[in-house]
Amino acid sequence: MRIVNPSFGLAPAGAEQAASGAVDWREDPILLFSNAKPNAKELLEGLRDRLATIRRVDNVDFVHKNSASQPAPPELIEAAARKYRIALLALGD
Amino acid sequence: MQDAAEAEIIEIGDLSPEEWTDYAIAQGWSDGLPLAIPTEAAVERLVALCRGDNEPFPPISPRQVVPTLRSLAANAVMAGCRPDYFPVVLAALRGVLRPEYNLHGTLATTHPCAPMVLVSGPARHALGLNCGTNCFGQGNRANATIGRALELILLNIGGARPGVMDRATQGSPAKYSFCFGENQEESPWAPYHVRRGFAPEDSVVTVMAGEGPHNINDHASTTGEGILTTIAQSIAQPGSNNIYGKGPYVLVLGPEHAATLARDGWTIEALQQALFERARVHVSRVSPENVRQYVDSGHPPVDDHLLLAPTPEDIHILVAGGAGKHSAWIPSFGGTAVCSVKVRAPA
Repeated sequence: MRIVNPSFGLAPAGAEQAASGAVDWREDPILLFSNAKPNAKELLEGLRDRLATIRRVDNVDFVHKNSASQPAPPELIEAAARKYRIALLALGD
Repeated sequence: MQDAAEAEIIEIGDLSPEEWTDYAIAQGWSDGLPLAIPTEAAVERLVALCRGDNEPFPPISPRQVVPTLRSLAANAVMAGCRPDYFPVVLAALRGVLRPEYNLHGTLATTHPCAPMVLVSGPARHALGLNCGTNCFGQGNRANATIGRALELILLNIGGARPGVMDRATQGSPAKYSFCFGENQEESPWAPYHVRRGFAPEDSVVTVMAGEGPHNINDHASTTGEGILTTIAQSIAQPGSNNIYGKGPYVLVLGPEHAATLARDGWTIEALQQALFERARVHVSRVSPENVRQYVDSGHPPVDDHLLLAPTPEDIHILVAGGAGKHSAWIPSFGGTAVCSVKVRAPA
């Protein structure tokens, strides 16, 4: 018996991934990204405190979505991608 | 539509019905219930009806792959759809794929929302959709399988697998299937899709990421004002995602409640305005921590009340169901939109 695969799909046009070079975790700027849910900010603040014991943190910044239920605006993603090569996302809930 | 020939054909051998069920469940293709077999011939019968639909589909979240007509049809076959249901399934899919519907958020959330599928216009009767007694319930093939087909598409092509990318804390029975028809014939007002700008002869699918229907019982009120009071107080729930996320909701009036409201002069616009003003929650019914969260998220109280819908127009009102003194409200995910799509005539 031959069936049609119900999970079949095509990769979207322009879905190729950009290569990223090596990252220096001790020096590169880091973005701490909150999903705007309760406790996400607290998680990220704790993470920043831990990072402070092993690296400089004056270039470790916070950002959050405007709404927990909506995607981050494209301009926010674009701005983050231009400035940072490391982003840590906290999924509070 | 993408090239209808694009599909992956799988040779599965000669399986008994029981073996097929076990196989399909092992592949992760099922909602837990047995599935019809998507043979090439069965899929082709659906595809043949929609060959004239040439508008491409965007990728489906969260997996982000572009569906083909045949992979979509395979899911509709598995759900148990008749071929003539397929254009309605495709219209529903186009609705949930609109950016304002926020498909990724509604699938990945911990909230128990499911894609509510409302059908208005001539397709209701052509397909035998239940718009009357027990319209949210069991017993009708079109209602059951159109809603199920959309869910299977989101599972199998979209990748919204429970516990993996579908992170619902408790989920909902509505995630099996949530499709019903508007009872235009017993509505005292213009059909919902006509109020949305479509022609009466159009068949229209409306989708919203909603919870299952919440019943509103009012057997005693004999005036529109009385019924409205019951409805407004039933909707004003402190734990609603509509307070948390602010967004649209749907009020489905039973025909008897609708008739009383219309007899007493209530228009749709007046009902929307009255519910906007009355179906809100006083801050004394909400914990201080939650009030702080709503303020932090940009939804502060208004006159010491928390709103459920951003505007009166975000309250969508229609008639469905049969005899009896019941209505229902359908809360939304909040961060979603009500999207209406015209059903394309079969090729």
